[in-house]
Amino acid sequence: MILLTDRPPQLETPIHYFRQDLTPNEAFFVRWHLEGIPTSVDLRTFRLNVSGHVRQPLQLSVDELRSQFEPMSIIAVNQCSGNSRSFFEPHVPGGQWKHGAVGNAKWTGVSLKSILDRAQVKAGAVDVSFNGLDAPPLPSVADFVKALSIDHARDGEVMVAYAMNDQSLPMVNGFPMRLVVPGWYGTYWVKALSDISVLPQAFSNFWTDKAYRIPNGPNGTESPKNLAKDTVPINRFNVRSILVRPEPDETLHTGIPNEIEGIAFDAGYGIRRVEVSTDGGTTWADARLDPELGKYSWRRWRASWTPRNRGQYRVMARATNAIGETQSKEQWNRSGFMWNVISQVDVKVG
Amino acid sequence: MAPRIKNVFLSLGLAAFAAGCSRPSKISKEPEHGSANGKMESTADSKPDNPVHTIVMPHYEPVFPPGPGRDEFVAACVVCHSPRYITMQPRFSRTTWLSEVDKMKNVYGAHISDEQVQKITDYLVSINGKPDSGQAPKGTYGE
Repeated sequence: MILLTDRPPQLETPIHYFRQDLTPNEAFFVRWHLEGIPTSVDLRTFRLNVSGHVRQPLQLSVDELRSQFEPMSIIAVNQCSGNSRSFFEPHVPGGQWKHGAVGNAKWTGVSLKSILDRAQVKAGAVDVSFNGLDAPPLPSVADFVKALSIDHARDGEVMVAYAMNDQSLPMVNGFPMRLVVPGWYGTYWVKALSDISVLPQAFSNFWTDKAYRIPNGPNGTESPKNLAKDTVPINRFNVRSILVRPEPDETLHTGIPNEIEGIAFDAGYGIRRVEVSTDGGTTWADARLDPELGKYSWRRWRASWTPRNRGQYRVMARATNAIGETQSKEQWNRSGFMWNVISQVDVKVG
Repeated sequence: MAPRIKNVFLSLGLAAFAAGCSRPSKISKEPEHGSANGKMESTADSKPDNPVHTIVMPHYEPVFPPGPGRDEFVAACVVCHSPRYITMQPRFSRTTWLSEVDKMKNVYGAHISDEQVQKITDYLVSINGKPDSGQAPKGTYGE
């Protein structure tokens, strides 16, 4: 994998792994916030605690979660809020991801709703917060805790996953269990989930009030000289594609079909169309879409291109979803979130 | 002119990691570009039914060159994160670096004085700075 930082770890997936429907566990991107990541978990003592505004607090072992609840599986994209941050101009501080802070996996676990139902949520619940085993390096640093509204938490799709592609979660991907929030950015997918708390009031902490916020406007955009004053917590994915082949600076050939392929996904409305341009965006042609694997999965697509002449070319791709949302030509925000500019790769035909 | 050291660090930056913890044996992912040998070792997983899962995290922390404020940088910053948080960034103006150091002090609670904020900023600008353009993004969190 591509190492961004080692402490806490941030690891990026090389783009050629996206030539598969599911991203292998050993290549799945990794992003932790706090130095104190869990490096040892004892399943004999580990418990998922459910507490707060409930009648029946729970302490569940992994075995109890596996044996006492109805299992469910979902194929879903997990994408870091800051995926592709390094492409923003002007550059913004933060993890300088290229396009590899994303992956698609089959998640297996139990619905959060079923856990909350067993805990018997009291009337008047507002939010549900999620804490993991990671810990801040100093008492002054806020623990990484995120929250969802009670309605979202009980939608039957948000789940607590103990398996990823039919294997235990790797330690760096949140062993023994993590939250899966289909269609929402990875910041909500709390890893090494250990504490669920139901709250009778709105949740508030640094990671929600100050971090992971986007301008409250179309596609979370603003301009460097006119920063948005009104911001909201980041939430659903926008629609985007990623060109997987050719890779940057690859040399293609005249007179033979060259494979162009990639992935596209959105927040769950579904990818309706992907168009490809090989002339820098002047003309576009539809790519062929692979079968759907589920509304929260990415959808792979492909096209074939037989260039007649040698030279430098710009290959581009843009995805459109079922409600007509498509990719933008320009985009900027101060935190480098939600990149979905039309994808492009410059190649040489030799 | 600031010394151009970034490429030296980045050449160390392609490391291989084993991301597994529950496999029958310790595994390591092959290096993508053959330039580094790192791996995370899963030490207690040699038996699939072992209830204790552990991982050893490798550290690849670059040695930083001398410069104004280096001591303050090492003392205050490396406590909480790898220096790679600096070397992976593009070159930023003083305004942006100052805003980042301010954020560490005021938002994340790093134990640094106002004087140290200036010295650390001096160091960051000296190793990975660029002239102010007036377009510096400020006040970003949670990246």
